[in-house]
Formats: sequence, C-alpha cells, structure tokens
Amino acid sequence: MSVTPEEVRQIARLAELSVDEEHLPELAAQMSRIVDYVAQLAEAGGGGAAGGDHAKPFIPGPDAVKLRPDVVAPQPLEGKVADFAPAFRDGFFLVPKLGAFDTGEETA
Amino acid sequence: MTGLEALTVAKATATRLSKVRRLNALLTPATTVRKALVAQAKAAHPSGVLYGMPVAVKDNICTLEFPTTCGSKLLEGYRSPYEATVITKLKAAGALIAGKANLDEFAMGSSTEHSAFGRVLHPLDRTRVPGGSSGGSAALVAAGAVPAALGSETGGSVRQPAAFCGVVGIKPTYGRVSRYGLVAFGSSLDQVGVLGRSVHDAARVFSVISGRDARDNTCEDRDPLRLPTVPERLEGFVIGIPKEYFPVDLHPGVRRACDRAIRALKDLGAAVRDVSLPHTAYAIPTYYVIAPAEASSNLARFDGVRYGNRAEGVTTLADLYRRTRGAGFGAEVRRRILVGTYVLSSGYYDAYYRKAQQMRALLAQDFRNVFDRGVDLIFTPTTPTTAFKAGERTKDPVAMYLADCFTAPANLTGVPAMSLPIGRVKGLPVGGQFIGQPFLEDDMIEAAYALERAISATEEA
Repeated sequence: MSVTPEEVRQIARLAELSVDEEHLPELAAQMSRIVDYVAQLAEAGGGGAAGGDHAKPFIPGPDAVKLRPDVVAPQPLEGKVADFAPAFRDGFFLVPKLGAFDTGEETA
Repeated sequence: MTGLEALTVAKATATRLSKVRRLNALLTPATTVRKALVAQAKAAHPSGVLYGMPVAVKDNICTLEFPTTCGSKLLEGYRSPYEATVITKLKAAGALIAGKANLDEFAMGSSTEHSAFGRVLHPLDRTRVPGGSSGGSAALVAAGAVPAALGSETGGSVRQPAAFCGVVGIKPTYGRVSRYGLVAFGSSLDQVGVLGRSVHDAARVFSVISGRDARDNTCEDRDPLRLPTVPERLEGFVIGIPKEYFPVDLHPGVRRACDRAIRALKDLGAAVRDVSLPHTAYAIPTYYVIAPAEASSNLARFDGVRYGNRAEGVTTLADLYRRTRGAGFGAEVRRRILVGTYVLSSGYYDAYYRKAQQMRALLAQDFRNVFDRGVDLIFTPTTPTTAFKAGERTKDPVAMYLADCFTAPANLTGVPAMSLPIGRVKGLPVGGQFIGQPFLEDDMIEAAYALERAISATEEA
C-alpha cells in the first residue's frame, strides 16, 4: 500500500478532519488505490511529450485579473450574520477558548 | 404568456414536481415549492425572455428563497445571505425558480449516490443512477417536471447526467458564466451549466445566465451569448472525430449511436475528419489530482465557526474544526479532502500536483492543435457506457471516476462542451458530445440544433 494508516492519520490532522481509528485501514486502502492510479502521471510527459517537464501550468479564464476600483463597498447581505452562523454574539463569531488549540493533537 | 398563464404554469409545475417525488430529485418540500412558484409567478416581469419558465436549481447554487445545502449534513438548513448572479439573471428574465435539486455532496460524484439526503433514482429505471453530480437536475428535466434546470460542472457533472437521463446539457467556456454564488469546489474548473429538455430550452437559459459580472473576477468581460438560429444544413462546418474517444472497450451500443450521429452530420453537409487528442488518457488522473487539491483548500471554510452546523460538546477550537468536519462531511468528500491534502503536502507536491498542472497544459495544447488545423467542433460520445446500476461503482472510487473520462478534458482545458441525446440502447439513453472552441458556444449549439432535428426525424420515420 502506498499510503499507510499512519499517513492517513497525519494527513487528516493537516486537513483538520477527525477520522475514526477503525476506518483508518479502509481509508488507507482507498487512498492508495487513488494515489496509485494518479501516479501514472509520473510516467507520462517527461522529456518525450511536447513541453514535458517545462510546460507552463495552464490556468483558464482571463489572461489578467481585472482590478476593481479601490473603494470600500461591502456587499449588502439579505440576511443577518447571526441567522446563519452557528454561534454569534455582539458582532463576534463564538468559538471555544483558544488556549487549548496549539497542541496540534486530537483531544477527544 | 399572460400573467394568468404564468400562474397556471407555476401551479402545474408544482403538481408535476410532487408527482415525481419518488425520484428524490428535489430537496425542497412540495408545499414550499408551490408557495414560492405562485409568489414568483405573480411578481415576475412579463417582458422577460424566460417569462413563466420554471427552472430547478442544483443545491450548490445560492438562493434566498430556499436553503442551500450542497447535499451535505454540514449545511443542512443553511440559508445563504445572498443569491448567485445566475439566479438574479434568471429572475430578471422572468423565470420561476422551481426549488433546489439533489446532488452528490458538494458536487463530488458521478452518480448522485453521495448525497446526505439519499440517492436520486433514474427516471427510466429505478435500479440505476441518473449520473452526477447534477443528477437531481437531470432527473427532474428527464421526468418532464421542468423544461430546464441549472447544474454545475467541475469534471462533467452536467453533461454526464444529461447523457444518462436523455436530456441536453451545456458546459460553458470557463469564464462565460459568473460563478458568484456557486459554492466553490475546484475554482479553476467550476462552471454553472444548464440542463434542458431540448437544445432550444437549454440554450435559452444558457444565453440568459451568460455574460459579464463584476462580482466574479474569473468571469470574462463579454456580452451574453446571442442565440444562433436553427440551421437547415451544416455545410462549412468541419467536425473532428478524435480516435482516443472511441477505444476498443467502448460500449458497443454507444459506438453504434455515435456512428449513426456521425452519418447524420455528414448527411447534413458537415465535413467529418479524424483527429487525435493524444493526452486524453491522462485527463482523469490529472483531474483527480487538481480537483481534490482545490477542494481541500475550498472546503477548509467549513469549520463550524462561520456557517453551517457545528459538532456538539467540543471543548477546544481544534476539536471544533475536526469533529464538525469529520461528522459533517460524507465519505466521498472526506476522501477527496484527504487526497487533496496529500498531493499538496510537502514531498508530494512535485510528484503529483506539479505533474498534473503540466499535463493540463498538454491537454489544452491537444485541443489548440486540432482547432488550429481548421476543425470547428469535435464530436465524441459523452460517456463510455449508459447509466449504470446503483451501488455498482461505490466500492471502487476509481471505477466511479472513469465515468467522467470523456467529459473531464473540457473542464481541465476550459473549452465549452455539450451533450445531447443521440439514441437509446436497451431503453437507456446515449449522449453525444460536441466540444467547441473557447467562447464559440454558438457554433456548438447550431450543430446540436441540426443534429437533434435530424435524429428526431429518423426516430419518427
């Protein structure tokens, strides 16, 4: 398997996504299947195909980003922020206290 | 149409929508849709070009009248504080928004089996999938409940369900239609698209939603598309047939339907030429690096802080993020976020993401090479098979991804493309695809008009 359960655990932490321990092996198998499939890109291109490794990345859309006039013009919202935020008071989004955030580890 | 007629259409649409409830294609409750349709019919501008036309909307496009859930538990009941530009444009043209259509969660899927609110059934065979991710939109149009619906495309999510359900699906050039208010999945790939009962219905709606929008910097500063007239013949059109889209294992029924369509194009006077798009086989691996990478970044906003639902009983902020996202996202969305994070992580970026971006450039060059040699349009099958059985591909994500192998190249390269019904195999619809040059959707629509008419003439004969 190209992706191990331990790697899935690490990636899930980077993605801020809780993953059940018992699902790790299945997720590792599925991610390996996907990663192995897309790995065929490494065999393509190289020096052979036109452009190869030096091909410029392709980005669709306008050639240059249009700049808007530099004026403060907030988009009017039809509803109040409090109506769609999970928890909101006195102009602030409420979250649990920040003190316990820096560990980078699961606490649950 | 008079005001009274618009009201009659609104009520009849509400009735038709409630009759097709078993398909699970519409997420909005029947009574809510009826009330909203009647209110809109009374308020609509009679001078609008779509006056009185009901249009269902995929539930990842923000509306004020209805919640916008993206088919996700995380956004269940979420009401957007603003509406998408495409919705504003539809309303200004007098169209009636006929509720929100079911979809694969956050538009990630090819079968509409990945919705938190249950799978959508194929209107012709309940054991099969309608395609996805705009499966709800396609099923509603195919079942005759609405003449047109909005969908969205990131890798074929309009054209593939259109082909499976036997309706018309248009994917505009990247930048032709505003993405303002379309919930972002893969920002360099996403476009709002249209599903319609006929080429004309789809094209009319497409023409209304196209054109500039100051609120979307990736939307080109261009006028809306002018609808082409229905041509008698296709003399002067050069149509390329790429051999890579007709592999040996192509479903024989799909191949036969395409062969018939190609003969019809020749009979209409078009010059048909063999062409090659040599990097086609790499489109799906490229897509499944770029789309998850962009998704992992776009979906970072769903953290339980600003909108949507939040996990209960959390004590720290890290916990809030992880448990909200872990519980709120379904299996396919979680998988794509993990794959996207993986391919962007240090040590893997060069091996996957950079390679995919380079391949994307080669795929774009493939199309330019063909169009530079005098080819106006490319014709292909839309999908390699007809609609597959529910559950058939959910175990193997890669098998599911391959359903988009003929549609994803247009998204990766930004060119416009559309699918139209070209026949049936064992009762199931087959879709044929036109791929056009950037911003020349009118050519594509013109050819589709002619082919649609030629095919319906042979079916009647």
